[in-house]
Amino acid sequence: MSPLRVRTVCPYCAVGCHLDLLVENGRVVGMAHAVDSPVNGGNLCAKGNAALDLLNHPERLRTPLRRTRSGWEPLGWDDALDLAAQRIQDVLRRHGPNALGFLSSAKCTNEENYLLQKLARLLGTNNVDHCARLCHASTLTGLAPVLGTGAATNPLTDLARARCLLFVGSNLAENHPVAFRWVRRAKDRGAVVLVADPRKTPTAWIADLHLPVRPGTDIALLNALLHVIIRDGLEDKAFIRSRTMGFQEAARAVRDATPQWAESVTGVPARDITRAARLFARSKPASLIYCMGITQHHNGTQAVRACADLVLATGNVGREGSGLIPVRGQDNVQGACDMGALSALLPGYGSVMDPRSRAALEALWGCAEGTIPDRPGLTVTEMEAAAGRSLRALVAMGENPMVTSPNGNRVAEGLGRLDFFLVMDLFLTESARSAHLVLPAAAWAEKSGSKTSADRRVQWSPRAVDPPGDARADAWIITRLARRLGLEPFFPYKTSEEVLREINRAVPPYAGITPERLQGAPAGLHWPCPQEGHPGTAILFQDGFPTPDGRARFFPVPFEPPPESPDADYPLCLTTGRVTAHYNSGAMSRRTPALMDLSPELFVEIHPDDAARLGVRAGRRVGVVTRRGKMEAVARVASTVPRGVVFAPFHFPGTNRLTLDVVDPEARIPAFKAAACRLEPVEEKNARA
Amino acid sequence: MERILVRLERCVGCRSCELACRVAHSYSGSLVEAVGERPAPSRRIYVEPAEGSPSPFLCRHCEDAPCVRSCPTQALVHDEETGLVVYDPERCIGCHGCLMACPFGMIQPNRREGFIAKCDRCRDRDRPACVEACPTHALVLEGDFLKRRRRNAVERLSRAAGWALGESPGLGVS
Repeated sequence: MSPLRVRTVCPYCAVGCHLDLLVENGRVVGMAHAVDSPVNGGNLCAKGNAALDLLNHPERLRTPLRRTRSGWEPLGWDDALDLAAQRIQDVLRRHGPNALGFLSSAKCTNEENYLLQKLARLLGTNNVDHCARLCHASTLTGLAPVLGTGAATNPLTDLARARCLLFVGSNLAENHPVAFRWVRRAKDRGAVVLVADPRKTPTAWIADLHLPVRPGTDIALLNALLHVIIRDGLEDKAFIRSRTMGFQEAARAVRDATPQWAESVTGVPARDITRAARLFARSKPASLIYCMGITQHHNGTQAVRACADLVLATGNVGREGSGLIPVRGQDNVQGACDMGALSALLPGYGSVMDPRSRAALEALWGCAEGTIPDRPGLTVTEMEAAAGRSLRALVAMGENPMVTSPNGNRVAEGLGRLDFFLVMDLFLTESARSAHLVLPAAAWAEKSGSKTSADRRVQWSPRAVDPPGDARADAWIITRLARRLGLEPFFPYKTSEEVLREINRAVPPYAGITPERLQGAPAGLHWPCPQEGHPGTAILFQDGFPTPDGRARFFPVPFEPPPESPDADYPLCLTTGRVTAHYNSGAMSRRTPALMDLSPELFVEIHPDDAARLGVRAGRRVGVVTRRGKMEAVARVASTVPRGVVFAPFHFPGTNRLTLDVVDPEARIPAFKAAACRLEPVEEKNARA
Repeated sequence: MERILVRLERCVGCRSCELACRVAHSYSGSLVEAVGERPAPSRRIYVEPAEGSPSPFLCRHCEDAPCVRSCPTQALVHDEETGLVVYDPERCIGCHGCLMACPFGMIQPNRREGFIAKCDRCRDRDRPACVEACPTHALVLEGDFLKRRRRNAVERLSRAAGWALGESPGLGVS
């Protein structure tokens, strides 16, 4: 008997690649490249190729575990769920619903995110948030008033049709390798590739022009680009007149942002800025791709708007091959946002402060009027700060804040003070170790559900095998927990399909994305898909913008220097990012031996001149110190980082003990990307350890 | 292009092929200088102990290659004409999907030229360095192998014939 072939969606990044699992007698026996997939055509990066290692991994959690004085004690599901319900009810009774916090997960399905936020809100709190807060929160807050929707305007496949691609703070080649197939295709067709990044990343490798901008000065660069476009009269006047508002104010704001000024701020030569601006404005259609290099700053919201201004001024919205592409990081971070797993937004992006949005949801759920609180809850970083103070219990589904949140020492202290900390995860992560109760969750191929990739493509990923041991899908766990908390009538679901049918009614852009259609759609469906029979919308804003007057809005964006600049005590700038072999907190990739072989340890990249000046030798351990903490890493001497900047990936515990927890005032995203640091020698005996 | 054949039973594990491969893929092309090069030149052939005896392994240049399937940028392609899986460092973004996908472990991370190192069958040489270096002819080119086999066959045949003829009294071979 030949093995059954089950097409699933890769559990790593947000490109949404298909992985075909070969299943025999209920076990995955291998993987085949999905060469007929309309998404990835069989292409897979290192992580996708290694994804099978997550199933039946020896470290997978197989039973609920309770922390006791003598160590972890396994217990049955009934006892575990009873315990969780009782502890949550204790906190509710003593401190009220706002003492509860829920960390939802961009690694879980739409259905699971919908269920977790529903549980939080039915319990009477908006304290539900997830790691989008740490990556693209500024995209939501930045773009909502500008375009009306904070999501990628065009599908990733459209990158192949662009004549010019401008990457700002995005290392697509390393972090979304398969999406780079379309970039490569565009380049083969003669497109111009411009990359603004402090480092010479593999993305910059193929660039026609690399703009090595100083960390945290992207707005100055973007403003100068807009300045040149307006100065040279290259803006799309017809588009600006017919489809936008506020151009004059934006133009006035960049009047003094000359390339010469920008050179002094960003370090990018003025003539390169001028050249890049002309190339971007003259090569149509053009796409602007941005990522954490834009969003993870104290002024991330403003930087996102500066990107949008550039795209609007050149009329690159609403047509094939153009667009503004915030590349989402996780396989379902777009979906988790769509499902309202955010402290201020309900499913479908209604504000929690909008009485009509709340009333509609309450009517759908059949709960009492006023159940959903009218004030935004705590965000990820706020929950961590309040942990053990006003926040007494925290439920974390597939999140590892100990590694992913900034100023990690403070996070660890907060988690340690909680009355009750419940973690649902595949592995005993760094965060799970400080939990009171750990529940074993199912991995992607062990549960059914829908996921939404970076370009709003909703895809169904079916269950191929059973989870190991007693592990259960998060949806199962949430439903059972909710029933024990007296919410039985609101959680009648038996399958993920039933939850998706409720989502069809709760989230208008998903109204036509029914389980039946999705399961029969080989390329998924792009939201908005407002009714059954609608083909989905791959390209947004072709006719109008979902703003009150149907027009997009320019925002004048002022430049402010980063909150922490290098000084005498901390003379270098630490910037963080990803490497291709690892994934976010490393909970998955650091447990995959083949990926660890590729990238075994935490390192810090230093320019050869700085290394020589500071006596840092390649391959030796070095201490990296900021005002918040210290870590040790192996020094890599490389001229891919500019002088004065050091780079460390955040996949290993350590990096985020150093990062800055100053947040953007609107998006509340931490400023991960620029912190002042210094390097210190490490004692030789440690060096050998 | 001619394939490299491996006669496992002849390998004595001397690793001359690995060394020759490194030198062939060094900047200088000479053993003395290649030793000092940084980063060190990489080998693309691996002598691994299998079942207790050493065996050379090298890229199979598969027709339907998992590395080619994985590659998002067509930095690895199967060249119909030469039959080789060819690497173009200019197109490579270093995602290392190929490295994970290869069932034989024949692709290594490397930063000298692009992001990986794999057998290129010594494009610039008539005969691959590993084949030239192998003292026991465990590594042979397909053509040489067939030629040698033909020659052996002819030798055997003529020896047999000679033996037979020698026994024939009328012709007097001496």
